[in-house]
Amino acid sequence: MNILVLGAGTMGNAHAAAYTEMKDVTLCGIVDVNFEKAAQLADKCGTKAFSSYEEAKQQIVDIDVISVCLPTPLHKETVLQAARDKFHVICEKPLARHLADAREMIDFCEQQGVRLFVGHVVRFFPEYVQAKEVVDSQKIGQPVIARTTRGGAFPNASNDWYANFIKSGGLILDTVIHDFDFLRWCFGEVERVYAKTSRGRAAGKLEYSLITLRFENGVIAHVEGTWAHQNFHTKLEIAGKEGIIQHDSTSASPVVVEKSASVDEVVGVAVPSSPTQHSPYYLEIEHFISCIKEGKEARVTAEDAYKALEISLAALQSIESGEPVYLKQYSSLEGVK
Amino acid sequence: MKVGIISFAHGHAYSYANALNNLPEIELYGIADEEEVRGKDAAEQFNTKYFSDYHDLLKEPIDAVIITSENQKHFEHVKAAANHNKHVLCEKPLSSNVKDAEEMIKICREKGVILQTAFPVRFNKPVQNAKQTIDTGDLGNIIAVKGTNRGTNPGGWFVQKEKSGGGAVIDHTVHVVDLIRWFTNAEVTEVYAEIDDKLSDGEIDDTGLLTMEFDNGMFATLDCSWSRNKDYPTWGDVTLEIIGTKGTLSVDAFAQKLDVYSSEGVKWNFWGDDMDEGLIENFIQAVKENKDPFITGEDGLRALEVAMAAYRSSARKTAVMLSEL
Repeated sequence: MNILVLGAGTMGNAHAAAYTEMKDVTLCGIVDVNFEKAAQLADKCGTKAFSSYEEAKQQIVDIDVISVCLPTPLHKETVLQAARDKFHVICEKPLARHLADAREMIDFCEQQGVRLFVGHVVRFFPEYVQAKEVVDSQKIGQPVIARTTRGGAFPNASNDWYANFIKSGGLILDTVIHDFDFLRWCFGEVERVYAKTSRGRAAGKLEYSLITLRFENGVIAHVEGTWAHQNFHTKLEIAGKEGIIQHDSTSASPVVVEKSASVDEVVGVAVPSSPTQHSPYYLEIEHFISCIKEGKEARVTAEDAYKALEISLAALQSIESGEPVYLKQYSSLEGVK
Repeated sequence: MKVGIISFAHGHAYSYANALNNLPEIELYGIADEEEVRGKDAAEQFNTKYFSDYHDLLKEPIDAVIITSENQKHFEHVKAAANHNKHVLCEKPLSSNVKDAEEMIKICREKGVILQTAFPVRFNKPVQNAKQTIDTGDLGNIIAVKGTNRGTNPGGWFVQKEKSGGGAVIDHTVHVVDLIRWFTNAEVTEVYAEIDDKLSDGEIDDTGLLTMEFDNGMFATLDCSWSRNKDYPTWGDVTLEIIGTKGTLSVDAFAQKLDVYSSEGVKWNFWGDDMDEGLIENFIQAVKENKDPFITGEDGLRALEVAMAAYRSSARKTAVMLSEL
């Protein structure tokens, strides 16, 4: 199977690394408008670099799958074009900036007979997979209240596109959406969402959001998203009637390297890591590839991605209105639009 | 100085009594408790007199009383203490309802006695350290706060609404709201809350998640659930994550702990300073100098109002303005 990766940013690097490691898959090119970035990554992965999708298409005879690792506002046109070209698509989250766009993308891919997968990679993080397994096993009884944390520093990316809320949707659409998807995977549909964010309250490059979800099954969830801290970290807690599960990435770092301060450095920075045989990105993409090969349904479907987007946009709506937003009302409203 | 204690219904009475006995020049004069066995046992334990009727204790030559009765009885006990011109340290929440709390403040003011609300976490050393850091301005302007005050379901009168006024939300909202007010000098203007009762078998609320807006443009959330089960290594927590324009601060009031692994499983033994001693010492000092207490009745009322707004929000399923109360 031949893969073309679009975008040589953080996610493009993650996808390319996964493909390079994978058997029966050929990474046949990296595309980035910044050719140097594409060339750098292509060199590392032993593949070719291109500065446009069109160019790559002309030069590569056989493409099966496109990995879309571009800024959110480019997802729609890129996915539609790939589907038009009859390529399967693995698209980074969020699927789109707007629900109508997401629907159009899903429908068009189906119409063209190509698969569409969305990179809700948290469903492939072993600690989160196991958390769901423990919940499903009833070991902690009926789940009642969950808490999640995700984030770190404000992301740096090309043209600083994350800083443009109209384009990116900010912290909630980019980062918090992961936990919305995970929680929905565990607890089912969300009934209502209430959210607050720092955006518009304070100047500067940071965002901090706190969101409350009420699920149809009664579970209450507190979701924290941050681009106001320094280091990336995630936390998860689920309290049930009979027990509690907790995960904290800051306390699950089996390897910590601290280098002594060198002459030109003021202080040595500790670099923690949690090594596994395969990265969650590898596990995710390998799963998507096997779904294409075997024609089976994915652990996370494009419809799941649509739902996660819907919760995220409902949270943004709640921030605007200052009131809880009911998902059923929100989706019917959006449908009319 | 002579100090009495009215009721040992609230477990904090034991550590307050202990603190009184540890302070020089303070006499724990007597303990009044309508539950005879509990009262007599406590009097014996703390080497003091037992009174079956609190009125009799109030007639004695004491300067102040600590009231650690059920929330709903605070009003009756504070009123009686004020009428006997005794200074009062009242357990939190100040009352089971806003009206009684307002009345308590009024009576104490009229009688010229101190009414201090027992918010001991203000005397927790890591919390005080956090307050000092915020005051330096190093974090810039505070934009948001994420708080938790989880606990185990205390059972007993705490889960009887007619005595407590409510469950986890009234029990555990007030501490952190008080800390946020103290840290930021901001007042809560609006509350949204999701509340439920599914963690325990009873009917009373045991799960609560509040979102608050403040008059300085900041927002905060607070998890006040009784969500620590019996196997959890400790009773609960008080944590605050403070987000400023120039930095963040996280404080965990009870992180100073030793992990103990035994046949009881894992237990966290707290080794930090005893915050209750700080609270009692501060109250005694206010009485001695007859000055405004560090934590007032109004502080207790403001925190109580937030809990009450949370209940209303949950019932209505909308955000509730504090001015509506």
